[in-house]
Amino acid sequence: MSISRLALTLLCSALLLLQGCSSWQVNQAAAGLAVAGPQATLSRLEKINPSGRDRAQYLLNTGVLKLYLGDWSGSRKDLEEAKGIMSSMQAVSITENFAALTTNETLRTYDGTPTDQVLVHVMLALGYLMSGDLDGARVEMLQANITMKQESQDDSTLGQLASARFLSGVIYELNREWDDALISYRRAYQIMSDRREPIPEALQISLLNLTQRQGFDKEYKEFSNRFGREAELPGAGEGEWILVYLDGVVSSKTESRLSVYDGSVDTVVSVVMPRYLPSYYQPRALTLVAEKRQRSGIIENLETRAREDLEADHAKILAAATVRAVAKYKVVQEAQSKNDFSGVLMNIATVVSEQADVRSWNMLPASVQVARIKAPVQQPVQLAEKALTLPGLSEFSTRPLALVFATSLTDQTFAYPELPPPTPPVVPTTTSTTAAAEPELQAEATVETAQQGETDAH
Amino acid sequence: MKHWILVFSVVFLSACATSVERVSADSTIDLSGAWNDTDSRLVAEEMIADVLSRPWIGDFSGRTGKRPAVIVGTVRNLSHEHINVQTFVADMERALVNSGRVDFVASRDDRGEIRDERIDQDLNASEGTRNAAGQELGADFMLKGQINTIIDAEGKEQVRYYQVDLTLISMADNRKVWLGQKKIKKYVKNAKLRY
Repeated sequence: MSISRLALTLLCSALLLLQGCSSWQVNQAAAGLAVAGPQATLSRLEKINPSGRDRAQYLLNTGVLKLYLGDWSGSRKDLEEAKGIMSSMQAVSITENFAALTTNETLRTYDGTPTDQVLVHVMLALGYLMSGDLDGARVEMLQANITMKQESQDDSTLGQLASARFLSGVIYELNREWDDALISYRRAYQIMSDRREPIPEALQISLLNLTQRQGFDKEYKEFSNRFGREAELPGAGEGEWILVYLDGVVSSKTESRLSVYDGSVDTVVSVVMPRYLPSYYQPRALTLVAEKRQRSGIIENLETRAREDLEADHAKILAAATVRAVAKYKVVQEAQSKNDFSGVLMNIATVVSEQADVRSWNMLPASVQVARIKAPVQQPVQLAEKALTLPGLSEFSTRPLALVFATSLTDQTFAYPELPPPTPPVVPTTTSTTAAAEPELQAEATVETAQQGETDAH
Repeated sequence: MKHWILVFSVVFLSACATSVERVSADSTIDLSGAWNDTDSRLVAEEMIADVLSRPWIGDFSGRTGKRPAVIVGTVRNLSHEHINVQTFVADMERALVNSGRVDFVASRDDRGEIRDERIDQDLNASEGTRNAAGQELGADFMLKGQINTIIDAEGKEQVRYYQVDLTLISMADNRKVWLGQKKIKKYVKNAKLRY
């Protein structure tokens, strides 16, 4: 094959590659998620036919959107498939490595960042829990534990998620496995301490309650001194509410061009690298209101996690991009030495084919927030910013603990155990009433219907 | 040269094609190292063989003069995998019923469906064929249990340890009359390279 034909083939392949790039369409959809909402974004995604190598990223995104919408089985199906793909990608691919080193990084199958690999279990656990399957949720948290063990490296919190540990603790508590719950909360605390992040009130209360309940007096005193508060164990006729709130949408990656000097060719080569723009995320909290009120606190800042994951891979990506750029530079030089036109074509082909891998699980929330309060089992609890009242624990649970799941992207709120269906509106009977009384009854009925509508929306 | 390319292409394409081979339902095929149909069947058969060989059956029959009626309660999955406990429970039910040594009481869900049918019979079936309510067989013992795992993983290697614990409890007085345990250990080595 002549050099010019090779250049043309490369150029056409590069253009085809760009056209068929589903990850670009996914990134576009992610950019509009906060405004369009999960339902419209999901409809947009369902029109995309992702390539095999982008499928895990696609499924992670459809899975989390379905979770926001309360489609538990659909979410589970997508996330389980994505999890399977990411797991099978742990073996190194010979062909993908070759393609990535000669063309660009997007030719590798998306296998997720360390955060993705743990967070997929967290999202699945939430889905299992909200569909009423506590044992299924427990399975996911055990798997998350193994994944975090495999990711753990000395002096690094990469791939260690406090949110996964906290949710494990809640699930163990729901199973009345207090020792395991305390271990999970301790690990969440350790991860956040290592990162020098503020400990949310919910985790403080969890640690205090569990150390007091289990009789670890010394540890209880240490935590109590550190947090400046006491345990808030529910008394007789009281229960506890835990809120898991997903706020905002995490940033998508973008790309930037860097100039790198390479000694082997004694020249400066240009490489394209993925990066995140600076984050201007402003967290919005959700407040649980019972006898006391508590604003949700961040247990996982995914804006930060995403940037840490990319930073950890930066050197590796830059080295691969430099090797690739030097190889392409040599091919262009060779083509130019034979024929100017071939050289031009080859140059265009190498530039067009160079793409940064900007794929990510970019429909995740920007932060995972939690809150924990106790309340009498008869007392309704409010989610203040959503103007939503949840029925007292005694109306839907035999357990003294309920978990509420909400996102900033929808008005829907879910719970474990499942919330009772809204009370049907009282239909006024007009046959036995006088004409004078009718307007009052109609007015009452209107108020009741409006209140019911509000409950339905929640 | 062209012939070699053709031969290579045929071999390459045939390697990519899906193939299906029928195998015996009893055959053991381990693909991922996860809990599979063979584990479910073997554990169920071995544990039921054990429970049926213990003295509680003789004691009960000697005391009451009848075969014990058994019901399978909850078998909880506390493992690292999403195990379909229903197939495991079905395997145990089959082994128990087919032994002919115990009577078997339908599960809570099954009973509900049968009761609905009985109510329907009350309204619609002829007098001679109607089955009356209140004649159900009460279980004497309940079989409960759980599946636990311990996974030790390092790099591409894993040791998967499964432990199935079953308990047979007397409904009359909450006595545990049999405790069964079955362990399975698997060493799984995942591939380091793929095509």
